[in-house]
Amino acid sequence: MTATSAPARSRPGTRHPRPAAARLLRLELRHNAMLWMMPVAVALFWFTAGRKTLASPPLWNLRVAVMQPNAVLAFASPVAGAAAWMGSRESRRRTTDLVNITARPRPARLLTTWAATTCWALVAYLACVAVVYAVTAHQATWGGPLWWPAVVSAASLAALAALGFAAGTLVPSRFTPPLAAVAAFFALGLSTQLIKGSQSYWLISPVVAGPWDLGPNPEVGTFYAYLPDLPMAQVIFLAGLTAAVLGALALPTGSGLRSLRRSAAAVTTAGLLVAGTAVALAGTGRLDAHGMIAIPALHDAASDRPLRYTPVCGHTTIPVCLHPAYASYLPATEAALAPVLGQVVGLPGAPARISQAAATYQQGPGNSVGIGMAGSPIGGTHPVFHFLLPVQLAGPVLTTSEMASQLRSATGPGIVASVTGDGPGASQAQHAVTTALLMAAGVVPSHPAAPGAPTAGNNVPPPGPGAGGERYVAPPPGSPAYAAAQRFAALPAAARRAWLTQHLAALRAGRISLRQLP
Amino acid sequence: MTAGRTRAAPVTTDRPGAPRLPGSRRAGMRLVRLYATSRRIPAALTAIVASALGLRIALIGHWDSYGALQLPLVFEAAAATVIVLTAASPLGEPERITGRWLPYLRLAATLALTVAAVGALAAAGTGAHLAGGTLDVLRNLAGLTGIGLLCAATISGGLAWIGPVAYLLPGVYALYTQWHHPALTTPWLWPGRPPHDLGAAICAGLVFAAGVAVITVRGARDLPGEEA
Repeated sequence: MTATSAPARSRPGTRHPRPAAARLLRLELRHNAMLWMMPVAVALFWFTAGRKTLASPPLWNLRVAVMQPNAVLAFASPVAGAAAWMGSRESRRRTTDLVNITARPRPARLLTTWAATTCWALVAYLACVAVVYAVTAHQATWGGPLWWPAVVSAASLAALAALGFAAGTLVPSRFTPPLAAVAAFFALGLSTQLIKGSQSYWLISPVVAGPWDLGPNPEVGTFYAYLPDLPMAQVIFLAGLTAAVLGALALPTGSGLRSLRRSAAAVTTAGLLVAGTAVALAGTGRLDAHGMIAIPALHDAASDRPLRYTPVCGHTTIPVCLHPAYASYLPATEAALAPVLGQVVGLPGAPARISQAAATYQQGPGNSVGIGMAGSPIGGTHPVFHFLLPVQLAGPVLTTSEMASQLRSATGPGIVASVTGDGPGASQAQHAVTTALLMAAGVVPSHPAAPGAPTAGNNVPPPGPGAGGERYVAPPPGSPAYAAAQRFAALPAAARRAWLTQHLAALRAGRISLRQLP
Repeated sequence: MTAGRTRAAPVTTDRPGAPRLPGSRRAGMRLVRLYATSRRIPAALTAIVASALGLRIALIGHWDSYGALQLPLVFEAAAATVIVLTAASPLGEPERITGRWLPYLRLAATLALTVAAVGALAAAGTGAHLAGGTLDVLRNLAGLTGIGLLCAATISGGLAWIGPVAYLLPGVYALYTQWHHPALTTPWLWPGRPPHDLGAAICAGLVFAAGVAVITVRGARDLPGEEA
């Protein structure tokens, strides 16, 4: 801004002249570099965060978890760079002496420039968030917007603007803005390298939206409430950091009256204390059983209760029920399980319902996280078979056909095994009947897994039998059990069903041998 | 205007006892020195060396696969922004009118700084695991510098850093998509391509050539009221 471009006083005839601070802010808003940097920031957001977020399944929890780190990274460099550019403005335009003799104290002027930069950054960011949230609201089948991740990103922009602005003010060199921009990206993007496990001080980084290396998880915030513990600590840290940096700008000699500098010192100290406290709080966090970071000092015990929901059920012979957030997966789930359900429907001990369950989480060594299902997959007087959708497990994003294939090969055998009583310690006949029913359903059982083959979880053992993680291991081809399975599978469906109806109790009790199979 | 910040071009006087060079050569040396001073090339060289040192220190740490791949690109972007900022002229129109040798000086300074940056970053990776190796450094740095030079010619010399900084994020994202498909495979996002990929090298080379050509012929654009 050149001195001549600023109006000297309010326009004549204005009945209620604006306060000087508001006028100054308006001027700063009109002459701010962030205004011109907004298209760059929005384009970067769209290229990285926006596309990626909207390409993920339409689950609120998943999308906001994808958006938070990517949005912070997309805005980090433009905001820090623009703020540094604004911070070095007086030196760059050689107006330092000119503005130093104005009535308004230097800290107030600097604060206004920072505020204007932050305002434009927030406008661009909120516009991006509005688009993501609007599209998600249109597509999601359950739940509502989660605001904490958006607040963390917004607080990050204010802190980044403060840091960049301070760098530009204190080191007004032509090299400062780009180096501030690159340094901001480096610090944020690679700070996560230092995270080890769920109890790490580095979780305070605003690019962390949950347990690190678990990644965005669709499970979080569906069966249990979303925990705002970590976002709260992050916002406290960012607010403290922003206050400390802005306060430090008023510390140098010549910034104003002694009382002003004393106040600035108090603000800086308080900001540092608040930020330090938030870091300490983040260090006390732990991975809870529902896949979120719980911080004892910020934790609300009411959040541990399961959320109430009405499951959405299909129309297969044995109804398949999913959490409403996963309603879009119901047709694929039904199609994948229908052949298996057709084999067991009506048999004694067959499940009355197939119901999606909540996953449980356990911190493993390093950054590994184990995901499983608590309890037995089947239980109750009207047996309900519980299972996990493959999308609830950590791993790459699955297409619908990939998910259906995993369901068939992992959950399908579990359903049949729950009827035949197959499992560790079961008889050869039980193995053979399970395999035969899977053959009849078109689910080709896999052969024994090679040693060292990857398991379902994230470096930890897979969940319990049939829960949705591991694959069923059929008897090896050529073995007596495999031959008996082929023989049994070749029977007409009615004959198989009649034999099972008559002998299932004995089969489950282990009193049937391979020779007794038809 | 702050009197204290006025930078006068250093006046050269022959020191007693200094060897006397032929007139034209001495004038040439003086011109080069004045050009380098006006463009803050010594400071730029210091910043490039600092970037290389930063990379060297960072490479000592333990990085996972993502970090190890993305790390060099961050420092390459830092070095590229430093190079392109030397394109800005603090003298503006008078220099353009009278500076007959300016195009050659711009070309030489840009090429020399790029070579210095590639050498410094490659040296920083010696004896450590520098993802992509020297070829990657050469390609990425040349491409990023080309983007910055084009920005210097079109936006402003002082704001030329916007290009390389803005390109950094898509570059890092392209590397990220090597794990998380669908991968971005366009050669215009050269950081995501392997070091020996010809298409990516051609794209980066084209951008660098275009940037150098434009900045050589036209120089950086001046922003009214801004000190470069």
